[in-house]
Amino acid sequence: MEALIEELKKQIIEALNLEELTPEDIDADAPLFGDGLGLDSIDALELIVILDKKYGIRLSSPAEGKEIFKNVRSIAEYVQKARKK
Amino acid sequence: MAVGISGIGIVCAIGNDAASVLGSLRRKESGIAAMRYLPSIHKELPVGEVKLSSQEMKRRLGLPADRPVSRTTLMGAIAIREALAQAGLADLSARRVALISGTTVGVMDITETYYERMKTDPSLELFPHSNECGRSTVEMARLCGLDAAECCTVSTACSSSLNAIILGAEMLRRDEVDVVIAGGSEALSKLHLNGFNSLMILDRQRCRPFDADRAGLNLGEGAAYVVLQNDVPQPLALVSGYANRCDAFHQTASSENGEGAFLAMAGALKMAGLRPQDIRYVNAHGTGTPNNDASESRALRRIFGTEMPEVSSTKAYTGHATSASGSIETVICILAMQHGFTPASLGWETPFEGGVIPTPGHDGVRLDHVLCNAFGFGGNDSALILSRPDASAPQASPSAARACAPDFSCREAARVRVDSDGQLSVLRDYLSPMESRRMGKLLKAGHLSALQALQAAGISRPDAIISATSRGMLENSTLFLEELIANAETLLKPTLFMQSTHNTLASALAIRTGCHGYNVTYSSGDESAAWALRDARRLIATGQAASVLVVSFDETLDGGRTGDYFAESFVLIRDRDE
Repeated sequence: MEALIEELKKQIIEALNLEELTPEDIDADAPLFGDGLGLDSIDALELIVILDKKYGIRLSSPAEGKEIFKNVRSIAEYVQKARKK
Repeated sequence: MAVGISGIGIVCAIGNDAASVLGSLRRKESGIAAMRYLPSIHKELPVGEVKLSSQEMKRRLGLPADRPVSRTTLMGAIAIREALAQAGLADLSARRVALISGTTVGVMDITETYYERMKTDPSLELFPHSNECGRSTVEMARLCGLDAAECCTVSTACSSSLNAIILGAEMLRRDEVDVVIAGGSEALSKLHLNGFNSLMILDRQRCRPFDADRAGLNLGEGAAYVVLQNDVPQPLALVSGYANRCDAFHQTASSENGEGAFLAMAGALKMAGLRPQDIRYVNAHGTGTPNNDASESRALRRIFGTEMPEVSSTKAYTGHATSASGSIETVICILAMQHGFTPASLGWETPFEGGVIPTPGHDGVRLDHVLCNAFGFGGNDSALILSRPDASAPQASPSAARACAPDFSCREAARVRVDSDGQLSVLRDYLSPMESRRMGKLLKAGHLSALQALQAAGISRPDAIISATSRGMLENSTLFLEELIANAETLLKPTLFMQSTHNTLASALAIRTGCHGYNVTYSSGDESAAWALRDARRLIATGQAASVLVVSFDETLDGGRTGDYFAESFVLIRDRDE
């Protein structure tokens, strides 16, 4: 799980172009949206692309991602359960 | 003096001229269907295609079949010819004429067709990287005998063509021209289809504007133009009010309370000297996305309260023809006024909380004043009010008032040019890493030049923002196209698409400065900056703004990434010494 969290952090930094952040700067349990890291609806769509591209998980609407994308840990837990690759 | 409409022309999914569009509206027939002409793999997505192949359009226009011409140009030329014929303006040689057209990706369909070949075949220099959306306007002018006309292209995403009409009316009020042909044209393209798909806002069924179960929009295509003139003897309709405002909230989402839409509608009403209850019908932007329809409903309720006029979105007929939707719906409003009916809402079944309940459509109604909304990415929100020529007159004649208003002079308060990486080293003084995370060099340079110019002028929030660019966000558009080809139209990055529109910088600056005022982007080739500065001076002269930020920018590509680039910002202010 910890390895997956680390991998996800790197992918998030790359896909969202968080140029000045390192994986250590992202708390796996802190909220990604709103007052946490401050991501928005476009970032959520980028996260959906990551799930599809890297793990073969296809979400059909951004609404589905709401619970999954709470924080990096919740994404990791979902990926572990649902991954197809 | 009033700006009147003397001719209309339209091509869209429900008809190839005004008469057939009228017939489809009255028969409640949608033009949304399975994809036939667009060569995309996404056949699961219904679209509002014009029911003519490009070859059929060329035949109608008398063009040789082997000449590659964009559908944007072809549809536009068909609609312009219809509008000019109705206006009875055969000989324009002695008149000052302007063709003002709105488009988002211009001739992108041709770019897509020749993209791979362009890389290796020098003879295809004919189609250089055609992110230049002004190209289609110039081509249309040639096809319509308007060679001598001033050509201007406005690119504010899905409100482009409504802003073209607004600009035309302003030029007439200022007596800069005698005749304006204004509207917009947009062909379906793989870039648009995949872009909207990457935002996950395309419905796989026919769209259902304002329905509780609405699941997105259907992309459409088309063109519509109106001929505008001062004091037409028997106009089809009068342009009585309009406003261009900015939501200044998010690049692709509308604010919850619909601030930009509210301000645009309120501004249009004020200019027309009308009360909300004078409006008999609203042609809503109503795309069918959960976000737009909720936000627009909120804005409509803020304007009309409990006295909601009949409202419908005609996008369930035409699809969302993006930049052309505003002029298509303007023409639909004119047809509705002329023939005394309200277009029925299609596909609506269930209300949602706070949502507008759209009209089932009525015949035999007299529509003195109607309101047409068009909203674009970046919160570029505009509203237009049209009136019957014999409508009960509003209390004041704002057009006359505007024409007599004192002519304020203006001066340049600051100018800053950014065109080198070295200058970008101070970016962090102006933008946080989170703010700049999606920006390439061009957007960074644009922000830096604008924020430094505002700082030098001592202005934190200008009254209006205008940008000017020939090729727009070339790097982002190219990266998106490359990815589209490499990934065979799957798994595309929404960030690239949302940052690919020509109005990206102007709307991002509105968000940054909290500017809800006038916001527009010109993309008229080398003349873009001249149009932008002319507009800024007009806004100041007419008292519509006391300070205007103008940003001119462009980039070239080197190996697919930004090569040379520049952003030059001007702050113009009202000269108070005079």
